[in-house]
Amino acid sequence: MKHENRNKGAKEKNNSVFKFVRRDFFKLISFAGISSILPNVASAKDDFRNDKNIPKKYIQNRDIPGFHIRSANPFMGVDMGNWGLSIGGMVKNPVAMSYEDLFGMKMVSQVSRLKCVECWSAKAKWEGFHFSELVEKLQPDATAKFVYIQSADSYYESFTLEELLRPRVLFVLRMDGQPLSRDHGYPLRLIAPFKYGYKNIKYITSIKFLDIRKRNYWSNSGPYSVDGTIQPGIDHPLDFDKKPLPINGGEVFHFFDKRPLA
Amino acid sequence: MKPFTFFFFFLLLSCDSYEVVQIKVEVPAEILVPEQMIYIPAGDFIMGHEEEPRTHLGKLVSSAAYFIDRYEVSHAKYKKIQPNHTFSPKSALYPVTHLSYFEALDYCKALDKRLPTEIEWEKAARGTDGRKWPWKLYVDHPNNGFSGFMSEPVDKRKEWISPYGVYGMGHNVWEWIDEVYTYPGQPENESELFKVIRGGLLQTHITIKFSPSYFRNWMKPDSKLNFIGFRCAKDVE
Repeated sequence: MKHENRNKGAKEKNNSVFKFVRRDFFKLISFAGISSILPNVASAKDDFRNDKNIPKKYIQNRDIPGFHIRSANPFMGVDMGNWGLSIGGMVKNPVAMSYEDLFGMKMVSQVSRLKCVECWSAKAKWEGFHFSELVEKLQPDATAKFVYIQSADSYYESFTLEELLRPRVLFVLRMDGQPLSRDHGYPLRLIAPFKYGYKNIKYITSIKFLDIRKRNYWSNSGPYSVDGTIQPGIDHPLDFDKKPLPINGGEVFHFFDKRPLA
Repeated sequence: MKPFTFFFFFLLLSCDSYEVVQIKVEVPAEILVPEQMIYIPAGDFIMGHEEEPRTHLGKLVSSAAYFIDRYEVSHAKYKKIQPNHTFSPKSALYPVTHLSYFEALDYCKALDKRLPTEIEWEKAARGTDGRKWPWKLYVDHPNNGFSGFMSEPVDKRKEWISPYGVYGMGHNVWEWIDEVYTYPGQPENESELFKVIRGGLLQTHITIKFSPSYFRNWMKPDSKLNFIGFRCAKDVE
């Protein structure tokens, strides 16, 4: 996975504009659950980084057995005292959500692979919610066919609305029975199993509905497609000693994987 | 002329000069070939490869005569049958994608056509001499180093046409085939699960390769992905 925090090439930056408002605000609305709020508040402008002074020799990308860690640049995690999720853009009811609010969503679990564009894949049990639940509450404009997602580490991704509404796509809070770890995107990440890992954005802070398709971080930084659909070819699953296995494209299932019933 | 310039000029000449030798086909006088379809005559051809157990192992296979679309179905063509289909004007001649097997089948039926069988698709792609790629000779894919799929206009690559003059059989999108994916030793829980798709690209994040003409890929029929399109076939009556 090539998730990142590299400032070079990052077109969207999180600036500290609403910090003093948001911190108290998210505490307040956590009692009320998901709420409609003033439209102007639903935008990600804060610096959510836990540690702004990253050690020079800090190594983010590590080939941890079972599940490698990938980021474009070091990131020390989210400052949860300041973190909140804003969802807006071309919607009738923009909302801001606290971490506690997210657990009010209907939780769904699935086992799926994260397939890195660097050839390896790894499997985990993910727990989170379907995007359809948010869409129902927000009521996006009929012309808002695209979704733009930003993260606490200046990363950004772009999808069609249709892609995010697919049944195997989850906004994830837990991994293998535990809250997401810092390395895997705490507090909130996307799992879209038919897309390469770099599309599976971590540390999500903002979701916007748009009527135009924006580009994503890696397509602005190198020879990576905006679409990021997993192509037919070869996979080297970490749980199969990285031995090469053919894949047909889309979500990866190997012969030893259990397919969903539906 | 500097050496590099000469080399580049030579490369251009090489690319321009290569043409796929076409099989001479005489269409019987009583047969009217539908617009933008190609008549494939009855007869034997070499199907599969002896070292690929999930193929027809390089054996001779016979087919009746049939028609097959010269090009993959484009956005513009698809919209004529499905008026609600939307696409960027710049993409009109690009292959239509993100359609399930069922949607592809519906399109063909609306035109009194059908999806091709594997025999029909492979014969149209490689002719009769057992070649590995429609254009016979090995060539590097020009987009190596890109981690994604970039389709091209359906009529762009004349240098990569098949011996019968069919475009896009070894590159561009994979194509839905009207057959269930089966192979010797297939697990029972996989039977009936997938449809065959044929003729696209195999890639990692640093290499893109043309799949051999006999390569069989598989996909759940309700899948809608950016690398899958289709073309239609038709019986000769």
